[in-house]
Amino acid sequence: MVTYNTLAKPVRGFGYFVSWSLDVLVQIVRPPFAWREFIHQCWFAARVSTLPAIGLSTAFDVVGIFLINILLIEIGAGDLSGTAAAIAVITQTGPFCTALVCSGAAATAMCADLGARTIREELDAMRVMGIDPVQRLAAPRVAALTVVAFLLCGLVCVIGFIGSYFFAIYIQNLTPGAFAASLTFIVGLRDTIVCFTKAVLFGLVGGLIACYKGFNPAPGPAGVGNAVNETVVYTLIAMIVVNSAMTAFGTVGVK
Amino acid sequence: MSIPSTMRPRLTATLRGSRERWNRLGEQTAFYITSLLHIRSAVVRYTEETLRIIAQLSLGTGVLALIGGATVITAFLLGNVGIVVGFQGKADLDKIGVFALAGFFTAYIVPRVGVPLITAFGLIATVGAGSTAQLGAMRVAEEIDALEVMGIDSISYLVSTRVLAGVVIAIPVGCLAESAGIVVSRFMFTTNFGQSSGGYEHYFRTFLSPIDTVYAIIQVGIEALIIMLIHTYYGFNASGGPAGVGEATGRAVRASLVVATFATLFVVLILFGRSGNFHLSG
Repeated sequence: MVTYNTLAKPVRGFGYFVSWSLDVLVQIVRPPFAWREFIHQCWFAARVSTLPAIGLSTAFDVVGIFLINILLIEIGAGDLSGTAAAIAVITQTGPFCTALVCSGAAATAMCADLGARTIREELDAMRVMGIDPVQRLAAPRVAALTVVAFLLCGLVCVIGFIGSYFFAIYIQNLTPGAFAASLTFIVGLRDTIVCFTKAVLFGLVGGLIACYKGFNPAPGPAGVGNAVNETVVYTLIAMIVVNSAMTAFGTVGVK
Repeated sequence: MSIPSTMRPRLTATLRGSRERWNRLGEQTAFYITSLLHIRSAVVRYTEETLRIIAQLSLGTGVLALIGGATVITAFLLGNVGIVVGFQGKADLDKIGVFALAGFFTAYIVPRVGVPLITAFGLIATVGAGSTAQLGAMRVAEEIDALEVMGIDSISYLVSTRVLAGVVIAIPVGCLAESAGIVVSRFMFTTNFGQSSGGYEHYFRTFLSPIDTVYAIIQVGIEALIIMLIHTYYGFNASGGPAGVGEATGRAVRASLVVATFATLFVVLILFGRSGNFHLSG
């Protein structure tokens, strides 16, 4: 019996998560939607994640572009640095930075906030008053993180391009005109759509995991901290799996 | 609206805020230096605790132990990087007609870009955030005060042991992650996309410069040091009850995401230089 329970525990946890997510998704489309909370949460998520997004994507993209430009200069294709920047930013680092910021900044803050409310028994109080916390708290948060992830992806990509432009032109002495002209050489509309679809999925997954963990922290002083820790780990894993799947989807059949 | 009790309340508040931030920066620096200086005493006086923490951080505790802790999670992340390298490499190399160079693509991307950038996030999410949550819980449960009352040096017992353990486990974690990335992308190119394994191996072995793999591990070690310092600081100074612990964990993750990536940028520039220390044509 003990073995059965140990084995069943992770599976059961996943099952709870799926059923809970379905509840939230239903509440998002069912009419009374908490618009005010939604706008507050959009502002909250944007506030906690904008600065980390700017810092992270600057450094992340510059490292990637630097190493790719080294390669291009070595094979005498420095003029294609714009293409490399576009491939790196649109197909990989842009969505990936969005995923990191969503999981590391927005989802953790959201989970910490909800976890604090749960252990202060505010959620129970809402239930007593006949207010559904899923409808009032979780649904607007998930929707807000999805919207903010979409917007963040745009921000991260623009910063990636600006950073890689300055790095390529002023540090690696490449030509600005060639950089701009070669941007759209390989990467096109399809990749951009895949990029933003990835970001939306990251936001959705991150919001669902953060709210689930925030609604169910373990009791005791370590509870909320562990919930936040698990949020980071699970969102990171989920997002990287989504990223692989979407990359496979986005590149298969491209000629 | 209450009546402000001082002249120019906004200006005073801003000034006080920036003074506090400045002081916090100093406190953080002092904390980092102290905990680094105490590493020796942690090894000498708390050897057993150091070993215990190394074991705990590498394989995780609680729910994370079920899925294998930092080691397995980081290897999993790099395995996914291998998958992405496979798909993206296939698409992009095909477009410029050099799919034969897939082995070279792996040899360049995985040790130079994949490992340093991605392993940091695996470490932040697992050992970093875990340490903040653990230390924060100890702080709000007044266990750290109890340690000090018992005459145990709390910084060397709790912080220096964790910083050391983080750096120690970063080496095997980095190696495992690197292998995972290389093995998975090889599988993607040879088995999935049907490139001949001989051709793949030829370009892989020709262009993999062994020093790159060592540099990758060095970068992971430096990242681990920075991550552990930041995360233990936030955990050690958590306040405000269980909710404060959650908040501290979130703040620590946000801070270390940015700082660790910037550190990687500078280490990359230092290690590879402006020219890149890379020779394709011999």
